[in-house]
Formats: sequence, structure tokens, C-alpha cells
Amino acid sequence: MRETANQFAAQGWDVTVVTIEDESWELDSGVDHTLSEQVDPRVEVVKLPLRRADLETDIRRFSERRAADPAAWIRSLRERNLEAFPEPTFGGWRGALEEAVLRVHQSKPADLLLTSCVPYTSLAAAWRLWEEARVPYAVDFRDGWSIDVLGAAEAFGRDTEEGRWEERILGSAISLWVVNDPIAEHYRARYPEFAHRVHVVRNGYDADSAPQSRRAPDPESGLVFGYLGTATFPGGLLQTVLDAWRDARQREPLLANARFEFRGHIGSGARRGTGGHVELLWAAEADGVSYGGPVLKADVADTYAWWDALVYILIGGRYMTSGKVYEYMAAGLPIVSAHAADHESVNVLKGHPLWTGSRGVDREAIAEAFVQAAHLAVEATDDQRAAALAHAERFRRETIMAAAVQRLAADLQLEKGRTR
Amino acid sequence: MIDVLFVCSKTPPMSVVADTLDKLNAEGARVVFGGLIPSRAAREHRDELDFAETHDLVQAKVRRAVQLPRGEQVWLRVRSDSWLRERARKAGVLVALDEQAVYTVWQLAQRNRTAKAVYGFAPAVNAVRELKRTGVAPSGSFRPPLSLVARDGARAVRRLPDATARLVTARPIMRRSLGERLWRLPLRVPGVPTGLRVPIGRRVAEALNWAGRRGGATYTLVLTASKVSDPALKAELLETAVNQDYQRGIVPPHLDTAVQALLDLADLRQSEGRYEEAARNLRNALLLTFHRVAHIDGLTSPLTADPGRFVKRIHSSRAMQTVMTPRGRLRPAAPPPADRPLRLLLTTNENANFLRHIIHRYDAHPDVEVRYLDVASEEVLKKVSRSDQRVMQERMGGDDAYAAQLEQLMRPHLDWADTVFLDWCAAPATALTNLDPGDTRIIIRLHSYEAFTRFPHMVDFSRVDDLVFVADHVQDLTTSLVPQLRGPHAPRMHVLHNAMDLGGFAREKTPDARFNLGLVGIGQVAKDPLWALEVLRRLRERDDRYRLLLVGGDMNPRASRASKKYSKQFEEELEPLVEAGAVLRLGPTDDVAGKLTDIGFILSTSVREGCHVGLMEGAASGAVPVVRDWPFYAGKAHSARTLYPEGWVLDTPEAAAQRVLQVNVSEESWLDHSRLAAKYAQSTWDWSVVSADFDRLFLGEQR
Repeated sequence: MRETANQFAAQGWDVTVVTIEDESWELDSGVDHTLSEQVDPRVEVVKLPLRRADLETDIRRFSERRAADPAAWIRSLRERNLEAFPEPTFGGWRGALEEAVLRVHQSKPADLLLTSCVPYTSLAAAWRLWEEARVPYAVDFRDGWSIDVLGAAEAFGRDTEEGRWEERILGSAISLWVVNDPIAEHYRARYPEFAHRVHVVRNGYDADSAPQSRRAPDPESGLVFGYLGTATFPGGLLQTVLDAWRDARQREPLLANARFEFRGHIGSGARRGTGGHVELLWAAEADGVSYGGPVLKADVADTYAWWDALVYILIGGRYMTSGKVYEYMAAGLPIVSAHAADHESVNVLKGHPLWTGSRGVDREAIAEAFVQAAHLAVEATDDQRAAALAHAERFRRETIMAAAVQRLAADLQLEKGRTR
Repeated sequence: MIDVLFVCSKTPPMSVVADTLDKLNAEGARVVFGGLIPSRAAREHRDELDFAETHDLVQAKVRRAVQLPRGEQVWLRVRSDSWLRERARKAGVLVALDEQAVYTVWQLAQRNRTAKAVYGFAPAVNAVRELKRTGVAPSGSFRPPLSLVARDGARAVRRLPDATARLVTARPIMRRSLGERLWRLPLRVPGVPTGLRVPIGRRVAEALNWAGRRGGATYTLVLTASKVSDPALKAELLETAVNQDYQRGIVPPHLDTAVQALLDLADLRQSEGRYEEAARNLRNALLLTFHRVAHIDGLTSPLTADPGRFVKRIHSSRAMQTVMTPRGRLRPAAPPPADRPLRLLLTTNENANFLRHIIHRYDAHPDVEVRYLDVASEEVLKKVSRSDQRVMQERMGGDDAYAAQLEQLMRPHLDWADTVFLDWCAAPATALTNLDPGDTRIIIRLHSYEAFTRFPHMVDFSRVDDLVFVADHVQDLTTSLVPQLRGPHAPRMHVLHNAMDLGGFAREKTPDARFNLGLVGIGQVAKDPLWALEVLRRLRERDDRYRLLLVGGDMNPRASRASKKYSKQFEEELEPLVEAGAVLRLGPTDDVAGKLTDIGFILSTSVREGCHVGLMEGAASGAVPVVRDWPFYAGKAHSARTLYPEGWVLDTPEAAAQRVLQVNVSEESWLDHSRLAAKYAQSTWDWSVVSADFDRLFLGEQR
């Protein structure tokens, strides 16, 4: 979203971003100010006082009923949210989002609204502005709504409340962005009448997240493997990876004193930094595994620079792409994959010379991949490393978003609202 | 200095506690910990951490708390703990570490009005940092606001009738059988309106539970149900009664009545077209029928005594008959393709322990293309595969959405595969056979425990081509339980040994091994390790060089009260033997082969087994097998006696001890038996031998 806003600004648009307050983001998985500092100063940011009540951790904000039975209270909250919009977590934001968008338009008439999901509730705001002021809009769906990218199945039918909303909103959207080809195909097949408006806009990576230099691998003091990302995969998969890591350390001399540093967000709200994943990581401490919490955006490049190889763990299958895969590739390091063999990421990783391949989530196969990555870490040639970086180059976020914004603007031929 | 109070109502994740404590100490906070931690190990871990103070909260017993949400229960029980109140008064930050502690912190925060009150570890650190910035100190006052006092007062008034009832059914009265009998009088009298009878029955049952007369409480609910004509109310009361018994770890005497009431209700709801309720009640009836306390966590099971009679009741239900009606398939399974490799889908639900060798073999086989699917690896598929209630509802005709979802998730796999091999005949087997497999061949393997569950009764075997068992006695039992397996739609049935690589077990024994008995796997009641202690005692009466080595994780006492009871008795009997050095607890290990080098005799003391892998691996290592004639199957056409060679299997601990002594009469004798056992195991059960059977199963004779 940040890069999208920056690209619009760079291309001469007067951009207003409607978001929620920092404190509300803090409730989710925390706030990284080094990320918001990179927003183009020409972009106006309107922060709404909306909070995810289900993630509230300040007990003074709890009613007695909620305090007595938090789970039941959240269930009823979700039911209430669903009355406003078919999205249990965010449905209740609908009114505030609609009002905010109308307010912004009143003070500074908009030529285009681009809504990025989640939450899908923001679609209601786009629709309201379209209905009341006929402001054209585009939808950036990222992973898509009617496709369950984890289960690789339809998330809901067309004859459901969500289905009717999706059809209505996409029927008038001037463009729909999704992150990969399988999701685009899903939408083109589901709504053939506007298949031509569906575009793939990959997540890509920020150039400043790529390390400028790398340390020389030092097996004497121990190779360092790293994971960076939000842990959204099941504990069972993490356990398999840790078991495979232990196996690999036992059999491969290069890994005998290697370390595996796990960084990123785990859990949200009251469960931030806790839960089964953290327990598993701590339990593997004797195998050189550590959990160091999230990494500030500004420190991402340095974090990659410190590592010798990367571990890419992901749920989902052929519809799932993570933004991390691009960043991983741009780090120019060997990559161990732990995900379904037919995962969409495979299409992106294919051809990366330091990738150990897609072998599924079998413990033995992952252990072998760790061994191979260890050898790649110390034996890869400069040419291989250069080829790895070249492979990633085409996924620079700046380039991808610049093209996407340009195409959107060109399609619309919208000139109104430009400041230049 | 900022005082921080941690409050928890259950065992917290100790590594996260330690990490958070380090952060808070680094911020200069003084952290105290008050909690209810049931785990002794966790308490010891906590005491090693750098807390300023730790305290186990004192729990008062409050009867009405039983009915309240868990959060309120915790508060009612700990609110008079003076340590907690004092620390809460001084605290700058009050922290609930788990959901059930939130209400306690909420209440404490009503009394200490200036403290921050947060839920979770990361918020605790943030609160301390913020307090350091803003610098607000606790006021020292510790009184609830008037509004809260008034609210509590009003609530107490509203509860008055309940409170009165509790007074006249107080513990001292109900502890006496006279009190119990007096209170049952109004329940026996005919003509009492249901609206009065049922609340009285529930209140008396609650009072009896509270007074420790749990059998009386169950009986009261059953008595109340017997006078109630509403089928839903009757079923609910009986189900509650029976579940109370199961929670106590006993097989309920009124089980049949409760199951029948639930089945009647399921049949009624089905006839009314209320399929969701019909499926729910049917499932509840099956859950009670196949409860783990009755079959898994005990040394006997009513199911094995007379299997046909045992399942007659559930099979008589019309709703169950609908669920069990074979739906068949439009096309038969196609023969293996001749022009390309066989596409084999190997699938399971999390547990792939017995699939590993199969996967590796056929992955490398030129005539086979393998895909592996763990249905638990995808959240939606996992949910759909385990939804046996929705399977039942769909078969009654009331859940098209489920059928469509299953179709969407599983059809691509069925379309790809020529053959599907599903390991474990559990919930995913019921879901899989909800689909017509087209011309894909379906093979399901049933190990052992599944025979004691509801699942084989819900599998549509008319859509299964081959059913694989790991032993004849399991096949016999399952066939006698499941009518479809005896009918015209029955699949082909095979007995194939588990895939085990026994090559690595043939290692040299240590010099003392022949005086060491070994038992590998003691994690379930069915392993009956007390039988092993009895064998050991008898041996040590004659020769105190004998020892018993226990390999594997301990029993989980939390699995059920029955499991807890057994575990407690086992620990009591074990303790002096461990202290005397007669028993060594080696714990869980990844290196069973390594542990077996110390073991000269391998025991199988279970009441039931499918094939007992631990025993087979032990035999392959050259440990001489000593097998109890598994009581669940003893005396039947197939049993441990038909699975293992003559001489290995014995009836009693004394006979087992005699076998050990006879084999061990000299080192040469033990060595002879050791070599014979290893040879038999390697030549019968090793994957190099068994894999040929799997080749035949998957590929037929021609390849």
C-alpha cells in the first residue's frame, strides 16, 4: 500500500490514504515507524479512530461481560459485525469507513478510489462513494476474496451474501489487482464478463530490503540460517522443519554448529509473541534455534546480510504467494523451501540458482534441503550469486507498482486531480 | 520502581514467561507472580526464574462457581487470597496471562483504579514502558467503586431463590444418605410438572456432586429423566448423567438407556426433516457408545465380549441405518494402467508413522508415481475430513453444501489418482467414502484402535475396493462389528504386516542384556505395564539380577479419569522398584534400536494390540519375546497365539516368568533363543519381505 501510494504521488497524483490509527495497528502485530517514515511526504494520511476490538488487550476497556467470558464476547462481536457486512472481524467498521471516504471526497473531490483488501469491508466504502458520487474505483484484492488460498477451494458461492457483494463490487470496478496468475484465473473464470479487467500485480520486494553486502560464510563459527516473516503456518509444519533441522545438523558436518534464527511476528493482540510456535522454537534451543521477535523495516537488509541461508516456510498451495518470497530471492542467499510441492511460490522461485527446490513438507526431504543449502552457502560461486540477484531483479516492488499505477492511469485516462 | 503483578489460572508457556520477565526486569520493574499452576514441573521452572515473589493462589471452594464461566470461577475462588489483594493494591501494572485470568484482573483493576490492566505478555512490556514515560504511581487505595458494589448487591438479590435452594441442599445435608433420599422424593412423585421436576433434579444433582456423592448425582438425573416425556429433555438429562460417569472414569451403568434416548431422538428428528439435530444426536449416541473410558482407557471393553450384541442397539436406529446404507459407485475401479506408471495417492490424517517406508519405496519405483496428502496440512480439508456429523447429516439428505465442498476439495485428488491408499480407518475414511470415487481404486488400512471407535460404522464400504488389516484378529473383530463387511458390498480384505525396516535393529547385545526385560511403549493403559511389574517381581523373587527397562513417554493422565487412575496406581507400584534399581525409566527416544542393545527379553503385556511394533522390533534385535495372550482376543480364532510363533505367548505373569527362567537357564540357551527370534522377525516382518505384499496390493501380480 505504501509503495502504491508513493507511486501515485510520484506520477503526479494528489493522494489521500485512509487508514486506522497507529495505536490500532499496534494492537494487531505492532507498529513499525521506520516503515511509515518511507511514505512520500506529499501523501496525506487520514487516520480513523477504529480499533479491532477483538484484539484489545487493555482490560480497562473491557465490559464486565467481556472480562467474564472473553471468548463468548468475541463470538457475539463477530455476529454483530456480520450484521453490518459479511466479514466477522471488520464488518462493524463499515459505517465509519463509508463516512470517512465521503468526508474526504467532500473536502477534496477524488477522481479515483483504490481500495486494498483486507478488510473487505472497505469495499462497502468504495461502493458508497460510487453510488453517491460516481467516483470510479479499482480493487486491489491481493489474495482474492472468493478463493480460499489456503485450502485451494472456493471460499463462498456466488449466491451468498459475500458472493453478491463481490459480484456487485467487481461489476463496476475499473480494475482488479491480484497477486498471482492462479488467483487471476479464478476471477477470470468466475466473472468472464470482466476478465479483461483482472490484472496480476505481484507483491515484489523493496529495494532497500535487499542487503548491500553479505558476510563471508564461516562454518568454523557456525553457519546461520534465517527465517523472516509472520508465522501463519500451523505448528505441525514448524515442528517438521525443526525436526528436519535437527536431523540435518546431526548428519552434516557443515551444520554441526549451525544456528537457525527465527525472526518475525508471531500472534496478535494478547497472544503477540506467545503461543505454540514460540514454545516450539524455545524447545529447539539446544539445536541452535532462537526466536528474536520482529525486525524493523529499516533493519531488514542488515538482518539478511547477517545470514548465510534462508528458510522459507509457508502454508497454502497453488493459489498462495507470500510477499516474502521476493525479498528472500533478492537477498541472494540459498533458500530452503518448506511448503506444498505445488505451491504458487514455486513458479517464482523456479530458476533461482541457489534454491534447493520444492520437495513438499516431508521431514527427510527438508533435512536434505538443509544439507544442500549448507553446501550452497559455502560453495556457491560469485556467478551463481549474481545470477540469483538477477533472477530477483524483475520483482522490484517499485518497478511493479510503477507499471501497475501507470496502466491504471492510462486505462482511465484520468487527468483530473493531478497536481502537475 | 514499577510493581507488576502476573495473574494466571493455568500453566503458562514458561519460555515466554521467562523471556517477558527478562524484558521487564531490564526495564527496572519488580515482577511478582500469583497463579494457579497445576503442573509441578512448571511450578519448579517458575521458581527458578527471577521473580521478586511467587505465590500459588489459595482456592476457596465456592459451590455456585461450578455453574459460572471459567473466568468468574477463578475470581470467586481466589478473591479472598490476601497475598493477591495486597500485591494488586501496590501494583502499577496488572497482567492477565491467560483468558480465564482476565476477569480476576478486571476485578482487581476495579479496586486499584490507577494501575494499568492488560492481557498478554507483549502488552505487559508495553504497559511498563508507557508507565515509565508517564510516571503515574498507584494510589494505594483498594476499594471497588460504588457502582460495582451496587451491581454485585443486585445480582445477589436476583440469585436469592438459587441461594436458598443451595442452603437447603448444603453439603453437610447432602453428604448423608437421608438428605439424598429426602430430596429424591419429589422427583419420584408422579404428576409434578416438568417445569418444576427438571430444575429440582438438576439442583439436587448439583448438590450431590458438590457433596461428593457423584453416583447419587448421576442416579438423580437418570431418575428425573425417567419421569420426563419430552424426548429432547430426557436425552439431555441422560447424556449429562452418563458423561458425568465417564468423567469419573467409570463405565456408566445407565449407558444403554442414555444411548437409546439419543437414538430415539435422532430418529424422531430425522422423521421431522430436522437433519442437523438428527445428526448431532446420533453422533452423541455414538460418542457415548464408543467412549474412550469404556474401550481405550481400561483393561476390558464391553465391545469384545460380544461384538454383535454390543452394536445391535445403534444399528437398530433408523437414522443410523440411513447413514450406513451403501450408496455404491457408478463405475468399478479401473485396472492399473498398462501404458504409464500407476498414480498412487498416499494419504493420512497427521499420523504418517506407518507410511514412511511405503512412501519411500513407491517414490523410487519406476512403475509408480506417488503423491502424498496429509489432510491435516490444509485447514479447510482438515475440517471437512473430520466433520463426521456433517457426513451423517449429508447422508440423511440435509447437507448439500458439505457434499459440494467435499467434492470440490477431494475430487481433484481422486481425478489424478488411479489408486488411493488411506491410512487409518478413522474420520477421513467416512468423508472419503461420501464421494463416488469414479473409477479410482480405494484402499483403506485399519490398524487396531479404529475398531473401537464409531468410524468403521460410518464408512461406506461399498465404495472401498480393498480393506487392509495388520492382523487377522483385528479383521475378525471389525467384521463382526460392521455389517457392511459381511454383506454383498464388502471390499476385498487383506492382512498385511506393517512396513518396518528391521535391518537396523540387529546389533550386538551388552553383557548384562539377558537379565534385562524391556517394554517399549507404555503411553497407554492398554499396554498394561502393571503386568510387566508382576512378571519382574516374580523373577526377582528367584534372581535379583533381573531388571525392567521402560522405553517411551509416560501415560497422559489427562486423557481421562480412567487413564489417571491407572497411571496413579502404576506410579505407586513403580516408585519403590525404581528406587531399588529394579526398574529403569529410559523415557522417550528416537533411538529405540540403541536402547534395545541393553534388552535381552522383550515384553508385550498389552490387553489389546494390532501387531505390536515394539515387540517385533525387539524380536528383530535379538531380544527374546515374552508375549501376554492379549486378553481382548485370547481364546478366539485369531489372537496373539496365531500371530506369533508357538512358545512366545503366555497366559499369566507366572508363566511369563517361567519362560524367562527357562530360556535363561544358560547363556547359550538365551543366545539360541535370541538368534531364532531375530531370524524369525527379519524373515517375516522386515520391509524387504513385506514390501512384496504391498507390490501385489498396488500393482497386482504382473509387475
